[in-house]
Amino acid sequence: MGLAVDVVKRSGRRKTEMFDTDKLSHSIHSACLSVRTPEGQAESAASHVTGLVTLWITQKPAVTSNDLRRQVAYHLHRYHPDAAYYYLHQRSIL
Amino acid sequence: MTPVDTTISLSVVLLAGLIHASFQLSISVLTLMSGHALGRKTAHHRLMDLIGGYLLGATVMVVLLLAFIAYLFGALFPGQIPSIVWVVSCSAAIGVGVSIWLFYYRSQLGTVLWIPREFARHLDSRAKSTKSSAESFSLGLTSILSEILFVFAPIVLAALVLIRLTPDMQLLGILLYAVVSLLPLYIIGILISGGHKISHIQRWRERNKRFLQFAAGSGLLMLGIYVYVEHVVVVSMLGGL
Repeated sequence: MGLAVDVVKRSGRRKTEMFDTDKLSHSIHSACLSVRTPEGQAESAASHVTGLVTLWITQKPAVTSNDLRRQVAYHLHRYHPDAAYYYLHQRSIL
Repeated sequence: MTPVDTTISLSVVLLAGLIHASFQLSISVLTLMSGHALGRKTAHHRLMDLIGGYLLGATVMVVLLLAFIAYLFGALFPGQIPSIVWVVSCSAAIGVGVSIWLFYYRSQLGTVLWIPREFARHLDSRAKSTKSSAESFSLGLTSILSEILFVFAPIVLAALVLIRLTPDMQLLGILLYAVVSLLPLYIIGILISGGHKISHIQRWRERNKRFLQFAAGSGLLMLGIYVYVEHVVVVSMLGGL
């Protein structure tokens, strides 16, 4: 589901896009699975964190993808610190 | 060539392999590829196939690079290797060593390396979309080639030392270099296959990145200086006597 909030992509080179809760939930779910979280726990963490981030983002006209990433990692840390670390750092591995 | 000379030459190859082992690009790509595969709910045996393909690709490329460069030097200099070649190779090793001290990691969080960003983006997108062992084999080949700026110096020095050995010792030297230089990659592959979390591995790498950077740079400096003294300074002194 898309919300009327623009997400400004990293380094501004790519086009901005609408905030998409499904995309966000999928990325959190994948990060959880990447650190070998059981499927059910990954789904639960993705659903909770997506809800919290959606609440945060609706107050804003636009956010950067880096802000979004930090916000997700902040909330995810409560549910799964390893997944939060991986989510925050997967773009800085290479 | 005496047994002592052979032992010294193989020790130089071993040190060059250890320096190569401290370079991080292929480990980063393996970590990324495994992370994406796990995130897609890839079955364990498929993950093992991907890791196996990747390790095989990296091994083949290291062996091919070293054998090719050694063959090239052997064909170009069938007799004795001219001093100028030793001087240039040792200077390159020292230069790369200093560069590694200064530039190896970018000044940001994580383990982002000073490689062209286009290369990094390509490797990132390939690591993300690798789904078969053939693709991971190709990714293994590419990842070694992508860090050629750094691995060139130890490979060239190892090749120069190897071509002075007997054929059976050359083969042993190539195998020794390949195994030692890829040992960290095999260990990470085994850890991931054994169920270790990518986040733990990445945390360890991030905590120790400055040490690995220092070790790689210092190792190259020492190797360059040692080979220079042994093959340029000592030879020119003996020639003058």
